[in-house]
Amino acid sequence: MSDQFPAEDLEDLYETAPCGYVSVSPDGRIVRANRTLSDWLGWKPGELLGKPLNDILAFGGRIAVETHLAPLLRMQGHVHEIALDLLTAGGEKIPTIANAAEKRDTGGGHLFTRLTLFKAVDRRAYERSLLDAKARAERESRAHGEAALAREQFIAVLGHDLRNPVAALAAGIRLLRQREQISDRGRSILSEMEKSAARASNLIDEVLDLARGSLGGGLIVERNADAPLTPVLEQVIAEMRVVAPEHAIEARLDIDEPLHCDRGRIGQLASNLLANAVTHGAVDQPIRFEAASDGEHFVLSVANAGEPIPEQARGRLFQPFFRGDARPSRNGLGLGLFIASEIAKAHGGSLDVSSTAEETRFTFTMPSAVPSAD
Amino acid sequence: MEVSAEAVLRRNNVHVSGSGTRTIMFAHGFGCDQSMWEPVARTFDHDFRVVLFDYVGHGGSDLNAYDAERYSSLTGYARDVVEIGRALGLRSAIFVGHSVSAMIGAIASLEAPEMFSDLVMVGPSPRYIDDEGYRGGFSRDQIDELLQFLADNHLGWSAAMAPAIMGNPDRPELGERLENSFCRTDPEIARDFARVTFLSDNRGDLAAIQARTLILQCSSDIIAPMEVGEYVHANVPDSVFRLLRATGHCPNLSAPEEVAAAIREFV
Repeated sequence: MSDQFPAEDLEDLYETAPCGYVSVSPDGRIVRANRTLSDWLGWKPGELLGKPLNDILAFGGRIAVETHLAPLLRMQGHVHEIALDLLTAGGEKIPTIANAAEKRDTGGGHLFTRLTLFKAVDRRAYERSLLDAKARAERESRAHGEAALAREQFIAVLGHDLRNPVAALAAGIRLLRQREQISDRGRSILSEMEKSAARASNLIDEVLDLARGSLGGGLIVERNADAPLTPVLEQVIAEMRVVAPEHAIEARLDIDEPLHCDRGRIGQLASNLLANAVTHGAVDQPIRFEAASDGEHFVLSVANAGEPIPEQARGRLFQPFFRGDARPSRNGLGLGLFIASEIAKAHGGSLDVSSTAEETRFTFTMPSAVPSAD
Repeated sequence: MEVSAEAVLRRNNVHVSGSGTRTIMFAHGFGCDQSMWEPVARTFDHDFRVVLFDYVGHGGSDLNAYDAERYSSLTGYARDVVEIGRALGLRSAIFVGHSVSAMIGAIASLEAPEMFSDLVMVGPSPRYIDDEGYRGGFSRDQIDELLQFLADNHLGWSAAMAPAIMGNPDRPELGERLENSFCRTDPEIARDFARVTFLSDNRGDLAAIQARTLILQCSSDIIAPMEVGEYVHANVPDSVFRLLRATGHCPNLSAPEEVAAAIREFV
């Protein structure tokens, strides 16, 4: 075997290289071009000399050379990977990728600009298809966003409009119970109807809270220390004892009043946690409701006995529409814990869960100090 | 909505240098940023207060401040110029605008007549597309081709304009700026700006210009051909027309000495 390589012919390399070479004077005229390029363009070798570079560029490229390429070359001496369309003698376009560099003399004077051009027909087609796909994805994502927004708005409006008839039903039931002669059996039916109306009203509130949250309004929380929280929580517990008489609820309240919070919302949080305990807790053991505060924190927790929450379900508990088990729930849409955790966040606090064979406990913690105004 | 002076100066990456009683403000055109004025601006530092800035979406400007609606016409860009002028308390200053910035400066001078007493238009064009009785040099098809070209270079531009651009040993004076960015343009914004620029028609504004105006016309400029420069001269009341020996569309880079001398002679 021979170690001798045939000598490379540099003149031939320039002329027939698998890329186009063109050198341009500072005033934009072609001073040299290789044969590869003149072949691509359909000119005879030599015919390109003296022509303005613009003559072999498609229109977009001409503007780009003036507005982008020339300034960049002056400032940094080179530009890489610009997509340039060439124009053949017959007026057809050839997509290329160009690198360019200024050749300067020792004093920094601009002698000429060298361009190296690679045909990029397939690459350009691929890039265009990428751009098309991107534009399409953006359009679809916008359309999805709009559809989702319309849905949320629909839900918000529907929820809002449902409130009034449900309130009218509840008022009617109350009137019947207070003012009319009704049999014992009728009373027990009215009592069931009242619970149903209350549940419907809660569901509507939850849906409205969710829609408001997704519409960007977030949960509105109005915090003040104008009144004590304890009576609000006592009311929530009393209502739950009426709704779920089969469960014993042991309550212990020890709150350093007044607490700076949105009492209505904290009441809603407590109500949602109790409703959750009633739904999932074992009936033969009491639900323990505790709320206490010291100088630093307010802690509210609700614990129940029963099946522990599976490990893999815990991460999703606070997501909207999550329901732990498939059995038909008495209680709704799976929004209660989500809304409770939103209320916790809006108070600068958190809602956590622990679940063992002995008990499942949800604990809401928030700072009890008045947040400094900012 | 009122924007604070500080916010404006940050938004448009405003740089003030030099010492002098008069202020000269340089505005870049389509496709570049304030660095393209560097060679000319530095010759004014010793006797002028020099202001350089980037339009939103270009160079070191705050990309988050881009508002497609505000910048859907040259008037939005002119509002930025006026806000910068107010933030710096400019009165009777000189505005030097390259390419599309010539018209942006003209609009700004109409909005705030006390701000600029002198306009220097480098390669101005009040309308790029031919119209009845008017030759702007471009057809509508060509503009569409240009916009397609910018889309094709979506990938290329991002890379070419990236901050990783290397310094240039034989032009060390540019070194520091080179490290950061050069004519870096957000590709989406560049396309919007191209559309706004090349579809603009500000012929109606020319006659109202009160400022003394110098028109610097390049030889063989395909973006702003000779007859367009002459048209501007014929329609701006108090204007001087000057033909540069420099060729192409960016004489501030290809012949900074000639451009600086012409501006100096005028002011």
